Order: sequence, then structure tokens, then C-alpha cells
Amino acid sequence: MDPDSEERMSHRDPRRWRLLDTGLRRAAENLALDRALLAAHQEGIGPHTLRFLRFEPCALLGYHQSAAQELNLDYVRAQGITIQRRITGGGAIYFAPEHLGWELLLDKRALGTADLATIARRICEAAAEGMRALGVNAAFRAPNEIAVAGRKLSGTGGAFDGDSILYQGTLLVDLDIEPMLHTLRLPADTHDDQAGKSLRQRLTSLRELLGVAPPLAEIRARLAQALAGAFDAALEPAAALLPRELALYRQALAEMDCEQWVSLRDRPRTEAPVRQACHRCSSGTLRAAVLLDLPARRLKQVWLNGDFPVTPPRLLADLEAVLRNLPLQQLEQAVESFFAAHEAGLVPTPGDCTAVVCKAVDGEQVPG
Amino acid sequence: MGEVRGCSIPEDLLYSLENNVWARLEGEEVTVGMTSYACTLAGQIVSYTPKKPGKDVKKDKSCATVESSKWVGPVKAPVAGEVVAVNEAVAAKPGLINEDPYGRGWLVRIKPSDWGADSAELITGGAALAAFEAKMEAEGFTGC
Repeated sequence: MDPDSEERMSHRDPRRWRLLDTGLRRAAENLALDRALLAAHQEGIGPHTLRFLRFEPCALLGYHQSAAQELNLDYVRAQGITIQRRITGGGAIYFAPEHLGWELLLDKRALGTADLATIARRICEAAAEGMRALGVNAAFRAPNEIAVAGRKLSGTGGAFDGDSILYQGTLLVDLDIEPMLHTLRLPADTHDDQAGKSLRQRLTSLRELLGVAPPLAEIRARLAQALAGAFDAALEPAAALLPRELALYRQALAEMDCEQWVSLRDRPRTEAPVRQACHRCSSGTLRAAVLLDLPARRLKQVWLNGDFPVTPPRLLADLEAVLRNLPLQQLEQAVESFFAAHEAGLVPTPGDCTAVVCKAVDGEQVPG
Repeated sequence: MGEVRGCSIPEDLLYSLENNVWARLEGEEVTVGMTSYACTLAGQIVSYTPKKPGKDVKKDKSCATVESSKWVGPVKAPVAGEVVAVNEAVAAKPGLINEDPYGRGWLVRIKPSDWGADSAELITGGAALAAFEAKMEAEGFTGC
């Protein structure tokens, strides 16, 4: 690092954050801003920042994903939904104007740790506290989500560059399930009526939980208070970017608002099949559907359903969160560790869960 | 074999402390990878995208991008030069980076453009062990 950057960073007060609301924008603009803000922060020029953002309807790929594998392209094109690629990791999401994006730009000095899992947990716990202030029983769900009674309310992901980090999350203020169901490839046959029901069981929104969606201004205020409070920071609203950030933004937009960036990874759908299987437990039948990364031997997503009562009811949803993007060779250990850390009833057993996922990996292919 | 707070730091390798990467000169090429410390901070790596062979990389700029548990970030080249090889085994199984960061989990091979100048900033041996200890202390790292 050059000495000037080092000096700028050492003078950046960890307890003073800029508060930025960049409003409703096209996906390319929002993601170019991500890249620019992170780059400027890593240079020591950009301040620590809490940013709120919203998107015109779009499907956002995680950095390493391929559109053909993650999206139903016929539907996306027919609906005029923009496809873009994040600089952060994780899975594909559908972002509509009624959803709120939140993100932090900080560094490991301000966070007091360089461990990425710890950083993710601390930020998620703070964000969850902000959501609880709105009146919902939100809590961090490992490894990096915020859920209410086992149903996802906010997904998160991050990017790092040197000591700088960008950590971002979604917040489902309201939720129209249909475009999400048809845009994203899911571990289900989306022609099946049950797929929509399964997706609804796994997601929730502030409007569903509270009966009415709180005003955006209140949501932003509660989240800001909780995030800043968790790190003893004071927020200073800003209306504009720094000149260096603007210059980086223009450069990033030129590089990202194009097919070449969106197609950065372009692996075929055939390498990511959806398969399913059933397994007979002592109390009934457990079903698994898996969206696979065949060449990498990895579970992209898993949906588990039982036709018998499960204790606690959120157990399988919490296990699904742990199994996301898991290498197959780690399946048995991950399931054992999960059950060791969670109170659960007698059925399904760890062996049942491992068995049904293994069967699904080699199981019946689901069309689509 | 060097070790700092339970992290293997082989004393015969060269290190860019700030970038948390190692370098090994082999003939006219430099093999580059993540240190075990960097791997522990990142967690299980699930994706790897190197710069393509033939691409020039600048010193302290990205030569590969890795992803672990939804975190994406660059691995920065300790020296400037041309990428001459990427690791197909790691592309097929990114977890190799965590399993064997100094061996099978190497990331790129670079033909350096100015090894003499760029390598002068790299550290090795006992100096590397001491520097990593100080870095881990400053970052509040308890161990691999």
C-alpha cells in the first residue's frame, strides 16, 4: 500500500459514517456504485458508509454465477427484467422496487477483526436488531441470513479488497412471489403448484408480518440506528459522492453496463440440474430437491420437506441455509454439526437428512 | 517448517505481507498462492476465477478472484508480470486452496516483468514469521 493511502486510512475515524441514500436506480448503476465505493474506500479516500438503495426490477447474479444456470431466461426476457452481476458472492436474487437494499463500507480496523465469518455475523446481528425495532422477531441465521421463525427476510453477501469490505443485504419490505418464482431457478418444478407454496413458506416480508409495510423512511431510520449503534458510530448524511468516487463510478458503469460483464461466467444449464428424491423415515416421508453444480460437486440449493411434524418447525429451513453452496463431500459432517448445535426432535435424524440429499443428488431429474 | 499461531508459514517461500500471498520463483516463473492465514480468514473457498494466461497483472493488483461463503475478493499479485498458467485442478475443486495452499492449491504462475525490483519488497524466513505474528496480533487473530 502506498504511504499516502496508509496515512488516509489511519486518519479515517471508525466512529464516523457517511449516510447515503442513492434511491431507486437501474441495476447497472447500483452495482457500479458498489464497485466505485469499495475501490475508493480501499484507496483510503472514501469514508466509512451506510448506504440504502433500491432497484428497478432485475435479476442479480452472484459474482461467480451464470445466467443460464440461475435464471429462467425466456421468462426474464419476456418480462423485460434486467440481468446484472454483483461484485459480491452468493446466489441469484430477484430485486423489485418494493425491496430495500442496505450496505456497509468499512474496514477490518473499524470492525476489529479480519475474519470474514465474524464480520458477516456481527453485521447481520446488528441489521436484525434494526428489523426487530420495526416489530418483527428477526434474528441472524447462520451462515449469513436474517430470518423470522425460519423464514428468510433478508439475504446478505460481501466483497473485500485489501482491508476494505462491502457488506450488503436485501430487505423484503413487501413480496410479490410470482415474478420471483418464475425468474429464479429453484430446487423445484416451477410448473408444479406446490413450488409457489414452497417458496412462500421460505420467505416472508415486513408487510406479511406486520399487516402493512412500514414507511421506507422509518425502515431506513431503524436500520441505520441499529447498524451504527452496534459499532458506536455516528451518521452524517451526505447527498453526493466525492469526486474520486464519481470518477470511479463512471469507469465502473462503462465496464459493467454491458453484455460482456453480465456474461462473465457463462456455464451451461445442463451442468446445473435439479433432481429430487424421497426417503422413508420412521415418522413419514422426507423429500429433497437439489439444485446441483455437477462439475464442482456442490449443492447450490436444497429444499427439504417432510409429510410429518418436525420439531422445531423451522428445523429443515435452518438446515437448508447451512447446505447452500456446500461441497458434497462435506454433506455428512455439515448435517452432523448442524444437529449437534440445534435442539431437534427425534425425526428426522441426521442420517435421514444426509440420506435424502444423497438420494436426490443421484435422483430423478426435475424438468426445467 | 515455520508456523505462526497455528498457521503454516513455510520459511523457504517469499511473502507479500499486505496481500497475504506467497511467491516461489521457479526458473523464470513465479508461482503464487494464498497463505494459510488468508485461507483461514476467508473460510472454505467455493469459487476461483484467475486472470487468463497472456494477461498482464500489476503488482498489488488482482491476479485471481476467490469466493467463500458469499464473500468475493481479489488475490493480489506480489509481482507484476504476465500470467502464464492457471490451476485447472483448483478450477475444478476450489477447496484445494484450503486443503493445500502451498502445494496443489497454487493460484497462478506469473512471468515477472521486473523480478529484481518487485521481489525486494517480499519477506522470507524468520523475518516473515515475525511479520505475520505482528499482523495477526494487530488484526486480533487468535490462530489457524
